[in-house]
Amino acid sequence: MSHSTVVTAEPKENVWIGGRSPFNLSYGKIMMWAFLLSDALTFGALLISYGTTRFFSAVWPDPNEVFKSFPFFEGQNLPLLFVSLMTFILIMSSVTMVLAVHAGHCGDKKSVAKWLLWTIIGGVCFLACQAWEWTHLYGECGGLWGAFTDPNTPVEKFHHFFNHHNAGHVLETAPIVAMQSTHNFFNYFFTITGFHGGHVTSGVIFNILILVNTVNGVYERRGHYEMVEKIGLYWHFVDLVWVFVFTCFYLL
Amino acid sequence: MSANHGSNDIQHLYEGDQSKLYSGVLAHHHDINSSESKSQVKKIWKVFWLLLVITVVEVMLGMFFSHSIPKGVINFLFLALTILKAGYIVAIFMHLGDEVKSFISTVLIPLVLFVWFIIAFLADGFFWLRMNNSTPTRAQIEAPAKHAK
Repeated sequence: MSHSTVVTAEPKENVWIGGRSPFNLSYGKIMMWAFLLSDALTFGALLISYGTTRFFSAVWPDPNEVFKSFPFFEGQNLPLLFVSLMTFILIMSSVTMVLAVHAGHCGDKKSVAKWLLWTIIGGVCFLACQAWEWTHLYGECGGLWGAFTDPNTPVEKFHHFFNHHNAGHVLETAPIVAMQSTHNFFNYFFTITGFHGGHVTSGVIFNILILVNTVNGVYERRGHYEMVEKIGLYWHFVDLVWVFVFTCFYLL
Repeated sequence: MSANHGSNDIQHLYEGDQSKLYSGVLAHHHDINSSESKSQVKKIWKVFWLLLVITVVEVMLGMFFSHSIPKGVINFLFLALTILKAGYIVAIFMHLGDEVKSFISTVLIPLVLFVWFIIAFLADGFFWLRMNNSTPTRAQIEAPAKHAK
């Protein structure tokens, strides 16, 4: 491997003749981006199928009615507050992750470990919030997937998920249509937030692994903290997906 | 801070660790207390506040204005703010903005497929709701007496 392989690109130099990365990136980082692209398409497919189902439904549950509970304040009408807290936690953990990556650029082992630890704490808090929300909705639905399939379900079981100004007519004349929408809504909700939560869980595990490596000095001996950058990309992607999940399920 | 960053240990790198050659780590190594480092940290926090403010605006819109502003307008606002947030995360937090142009295009161009996916699938859902009058959904809304109860 000659020295010319690390020469930084001259403006006119042809970067595609071999011997160096034309993207000025390591193989591992490019592959992480490739994986994230494919993962984006998977999440995209899930969210678009959710949108399609919503478009072919005459009525749809109103997020302001479905998501209005907060731990210890149950029974009070607090729409969107809890999910705002979750969003805040995830954005915050993204910031601590990017600070860990930055500390890695500087080769500052102590700061990398500190910020990774905060990121892990943020991730665990987010998962705890999600666990609470799932438990709450499990109670509301009487199940996770596959609830609201019995055509004899009384309308009282699901009418409170709807905005009566928009959906009142359908609830009165064709409650089974509203029930079908409720069924679809929760199936998509548990599938998509579950898939996202799975990503957060694996992200937390990766973060713990690189924290252990950092503390043990593995990256210091290697001379760089690129592994922190790669896991950082994954973690930011998980935050990015949440931005879209938040919009699709809680706002639109 | 490790000291083994001289270019003369390039030869000792084993094949699997290409990252050292390409990541720019050798070029960008700087002190965490340098002014360059501090300005980067400042930028990160600035983006955090921006993301937070955008989220608060979104939640306010959702909580207080979702019934007073026309649905089309508010949905457009939500989507625009979402894309803005996504842009900040990808460009600043994921450092895509700092990569070479050809790599930025490599990542972003495949995402154009989403434009087609979204239009095609949502249009199909919309079409299905309006046009298909043989389904229970359609029939029951229009003639509730026949089916409901």
